[in-house]
Amino acid sequence: MARPGALWVGLALAGVAAVALLPLLGNEYLVGTGLTVLMWLALTPSWCVLSRLTGYVSLGHVVFYGLGAYLVVTTWQQWPLWLAIPAAGLLAAAFAGLVGGPALRVRGPYFVILTFGLAELVKFSIMAAESAMGMAARILFGAPDLLAVYWMMAALALASLLLLAWVSGSRFGHGLRSLRENEEAAETLGVPVTRYKLIAFVLSAAIPGMVGAVMALRSTYFVVGQVFDPMVSVTVIAMALLGGGDGVRGPILGVLFLALLSELLWAQAPLLYMILLGAILVVFVLLLPDGLIGLLQRWRRKGTAS
Amino acid sequence: MSVLLEVQSLSKKFGGLTALSDVSFQVPAGAIVGVMGANGAGKTTLFSLIAGNARPSSGDIRFEGRSIVGLSADRVCRLGVARTFQIVKPFPAMTVRENLRTAAMFGHAQQRSREAADAATQSVLHEVGLAADAERPASALTLSGQKRLEIARAVATGGRLLMLDEVMAGLTPTEVAQMLDTVRQLHAKRGLTLLVIEHVMRALMELCERIVVLHHGQLIAEGTPAEIGAHAQVHAVYFGGPA
Amino acid sequence: MIDTLLSGQLLFSALVTGSLYALVALGLNLVYGTMRMLNVAHGDLVMLGAYGAFWAFSLAGVSPLLAAPLVAAAGAAVGIGLYRGLFRGMLAKVTPSTAGKLEGNSLLLFFGLSILMQNIVALAFTPNNRAYAYLGEVYRIGNVSMTANRLLVLCVAGGVCVAVALFLSRHVAGLAMRAVIERREAASIVGVDVDRVQRLSFAVGFGTAALAGVLMSMLEQFSPFSGFPFTIAGFIVIILGGLGNVTGGLLAALLLGVIETYGVALTSANLRSVLLYGSFVVALLVFPNGLLARRLVTR
Repeated sequence: MARPGALWVGLALAGVAAVALLPLLGNEYLVGTGLTVLMWLALTPSWCVLSRLTGYVSLGHVVFYGLGAYLVVTTWQQWPLWLAIPAAGLLAAAFAGLVGGPALRVRGPYFVILTFGLAELVKFSIMAAESAMGMAARILFGAPDLLAVYWMMAALALASLLLLAWVSGSRFGHGLRSLRENEEAAETLGVPVTRYKLIAFVLSAAIPGMVGAVMALRSTYFVVGQVFDPMVSVTVIAMALLGGGDGVRGPILGVLFLALLSELLWAQAPLLYMILLGAILVVFVLLLPDGLIGLLQRWRRKGTAS
Repeated sequence: MSVLLEVQSLSKKFGGLTALSDVSFQVPAGAIVGVMGANGAGKTTLFSLIAGNARPSSGDIRFEGRSIVGLSADRVCRLGVARTFQIVKPFPAMTVRENLRTAAMFGHAQQRSREAADAATQSVLHEVGLAADAERPASALTLSGQKRLEIARAVATGGRLLMLDEVMAGLTPTEVAQMLDTVRQLHAKRGLTLLVIEHVMRALMELCERIVVLHHGQLIAEGTPAEIGAHAQVHAVYFGGPA
Repeated sequence: MIDTLLSGQLLFSALVTGSLYALVALGLNLVYGTMRMLNVAHGDLVMLGAYGAFWAFSLAGVSPLLAAPLVAAAGAAVGIGLYRGLFRGMLAKVTPSTAGKLEGNSLLLFFGLSILMQNIVALAFTPNNRAYAYLGEVYRIGNVSMTANRLLVLCVAGGVCVAVALFLSRHVAGLAMRAVIERREAASIVGVDVDRVQRLSFAVGFGTAALAGVLMSMLEQFSPFSGFPFTIAGFIVIILGGLGNVTGGLLAALLLGVIETYGVALTSANLRSVLLYGSFVVALLVFPNGLLARRLVTR
């Protein structure tokens, strides 16, 4: 695992400075955009903790986000936020713990569609429950302002990146990578594969849960179908694929590229944005499986070789 | 000599097929014991049961005196049993060193840090002849190299019992001689106990002190290579007639 | 409540839904069996077939009955084209060791294709729901009312399924197809023209999907995003019924139709998706290896 060079440390510091200084510009649109970027920066590395390191690709990451949002919305004005938001993370983690055991016995592409199916199942179940209770949408009154939400998301993004970095470099992470390469061999060499997969799954769930909770505060208008949007799961995958690699640099690259692109396209042409997402999946799976990080590494190798 | 591994009345049925039937034998500590038999005799099934990759239908397996039946493969490895796979299972995208690092970290040795693991596996790399390939991805090795990697990984776990599944298969006679040498060195230097499945008769007879013969899942003979060579039933099974 | 449950009405409805799922699953069975890649874009072919019939009817006044074989043929042509252009090359490069990784990645690939198809269609034809009225007359048999179009769907879908099932079990080419699905190398060794069989599988697979779309368009309104539930249904059916197992697939499709129809009747329409995805999740959890649990297939 290469240590980040001076360039990357510099970029990281610049990034932190940008995040810290953005609110001072006083432009609400910019802060909103920054919030969106921070949100993806929180969601994507947490996905990588499971899916990049173990190879169990989840197409249902949004389920944790949605569960967290739902908790905040249903306990609104009954629970204080300092309780609800961590509880949202715990709820998501608990769900992962519950479902992970049987789910992670499913391999390869079946796991991918299983996670998708699971997220949709939770979505439709909550929709049915809300409909049965007579709720069409929920509105949150008295939510904290944009700046508070911004800082909370910045903290979550930092936590997510730190989580991925720590897991990636740890003994636990090496075990995960081993089981990704060959699960039976890893188990025969002493890696507790069942336990490790489940831990990775649970770890990957907590932060998205809290992200969902915080974003519920931002939009203050909760519609189940929109919150459990499968495109969130797809976007996370697209960002991770775009970036590539096992560590934090890939997700950061992928998020920045795609988030900025989407800001340009989303307002103007949402369908074009979807088409772009689809195209990214196709191109990066077929042609560039190592993402931009892989491309950079190849250029650098060509540079040193000559 | 103490008994390191004991297999008692071990049986394994897959639906209607009986892979192993009432197999019992002992492996003394420090010994090299061979397992012989035609294809389908149950040899690899035996390994899978001992290593914890599969559960027996009945019978007991005792390692260092305690029963290990029903334990998961990773627990069995941590207790000190290591095996290779007949069809090699390297970690293809990882380097040779990283492959060994997994074994040292998670096997019996339980090394906690990358540095400690790499330090511990350095000697294994040399003994197995992979030191020059340490930084190459496992997928880039030849078959012979990948077989050495299987052995190196198993040794790197730090376990006391090493189970080798047909490590000579597909090797040229020169490579077989080299492999025999490597295996003997590992056995001597590290005080390992070996359980070896082999088809290459010469290797089996030269390497092992004792041999166990399986046929259709049953143990039909047990003894020194000389005794096995003269055994009437072994002859009947392999050559179709008395010695 | 009991009256509704025991009524022929629900049974008829379940049969219609089941027959449509059976048709979709049949195609998916063939394509997946050949490619060994989870084609999550299969439902979108159904959607394209639906649009084909819709435009034929709205623009040219061509009845879906007439459009059906044309759209199916177009679907088959697309299948052959894709096979020649893309998949033949991909399949040739697959070895048993790389197969697993290819399968995993390919799902994302097809998912990307699915998103592309849905949104390009939405861009071209607008995302709005489309529908048309055709053969809406109602017939009564006993106390079951059937609209003519539903009856037609049941007959056509059922008929095609039975025909293909017979083809696969009796005709030489059908047997060859099943052989290739089960074990490609072995089939080629015994003299099966694997390339031709795979081409035929794609043609039939894509053709039946398009046909299912035409039939679907007669019954309900659809949008560019209507294809996906059919993909899910198709996968439930082949997971439950087994890969390459045509009778199993037919039974599983009927079962799914029954679960959906009766489930919705017992509870509420809101639960239709819950039942669909619930069945899907349960099927996968019970058969963790998906289709591999049924047959030991290694290539």
